[in-house]
Amino acid sequence: MAEAAPRTGRCLCGALRFSATPTSLDVDVCHCGMCRRWTGGAFMAAACEAVAIENEAAAGVYRSSDYGERVFCKRCGSSLIWRMQDGSSAHVSVSALDDLSGFALAQEIFIDEKPAFYDFANETRKLTGADFVAMFASAEDGSGQ
Amino acid sequence: MSADVAAGERIEGRCLCGAARFSAELHDAFMSACHCTMCRRWTSGMFMSLAVKPESLKLEDESTFGMFASSAEAERGFCKTCGSPLFWRALDGSSADVSAQAIDDPSRFPFELEIYMDEKPANYGFAGQRRRLTGAEWRAAKEAANG
Repeated sequence: MAEAAPRTGRCLCGALRFSATPTSLDVDVCHCGMCRRWTGGAFMAAACEAVAIENEAAAGVYRSSDYGERVFCKRCGSSLIWRMQDGSSAHVSVSALDDLSGFALAQEIFIDEKPAFYDFANETRKLTGADFVAMFASAEDGSGQ
Repeated sequence: MSADVAAGERIEGRCLCGAARFSAELHDAFMSACHCTMCRRWTSGMFMSLAVKPESLKLEDESTFGMFASSAEAERGFCKTCGSPLFWRALDGSSADVSAQAIDDPSRFPFELEIYMDEKPANYGFAGQRRRLTGAEWRAAKEAANG
C-alpha cells in the first residue's frame, strides 16, 4: 500500500532541504560496504518518488558505481539520498525526514556484506546483494543498467 | 572482549571514495553507536564510532576534509568528495571519535556501548547486551572521566 503524502526533510545543518514521497512506510537498511563507509553505520532509507531538492547548489553528488550516485550536503556532509543515475529510483535517508511517524524497519539488504559485530533486533526480510540485484534487474525488465 | 584490538593501537581509516584518509590511536578498544538526533541526520541511521586519543588524530590531507561545527562544543569531519562521515571531535580537544565503518575490518571491534537512547526512534534497535545510556547519562559519565 503506497504512502501517498509527500514529506519534507533536511540535512543536519539545514542547507540542503528536499521533499520526497515515500512509496511505502518501509525502512530498508543497506549493509553493503559502500553504504557502511558512506554513513558511518548502515544506510537506513525509504524508497521515494518525486524527490525534489530545494537548492541544488548545496548538494554534492558522488557517482559511486556505473549506475548509482549518492547525494550529500556540501556544508555538513549529511548522507541523504542514494539514487539511480537514470532517475529511475531513489532511496532517501529516513533520519533526514522531518516526520518519521509510521515508518517501520522492514528489510535488510546486502546482508552478506554485513560485518558480524552488530545486528538489528527487529524482524525483517533479509536479502543478500545477489537477491537484491536480481530483484532490481527483473523490475527494470532489462532496460538500461 | 576481542583480543584483536587494544587501546593505544594505531588505526587507519578512509572514506568511500578514498580521497579522505586519517589515522589515530585508539582510546577505547570497542565500538559505540550514537543514536542522537544530530548523528542520525548526519548519517541516516546511527554513528558507529571508535574513541581515539584526540591529539593523535592525523588527517592525511586536510584539504580533502569538510568540517562542520554542529554545536558549540563539537565539529564533524567528512569527505568533501563523497560525503562520508569520518569523525566527531570536541572543539576543546577533550575527545574525538572516528567512524568505525571507515576502518577496513570493523568486525575486530566489539560493540559495547550505545548512547543517546532517549533520542533513538523506538522502531528499531540493536540486538545484544551492552551498556545503553541516555544523553544525560553519557554526558555525566564523560564529565566524571574528564574531571
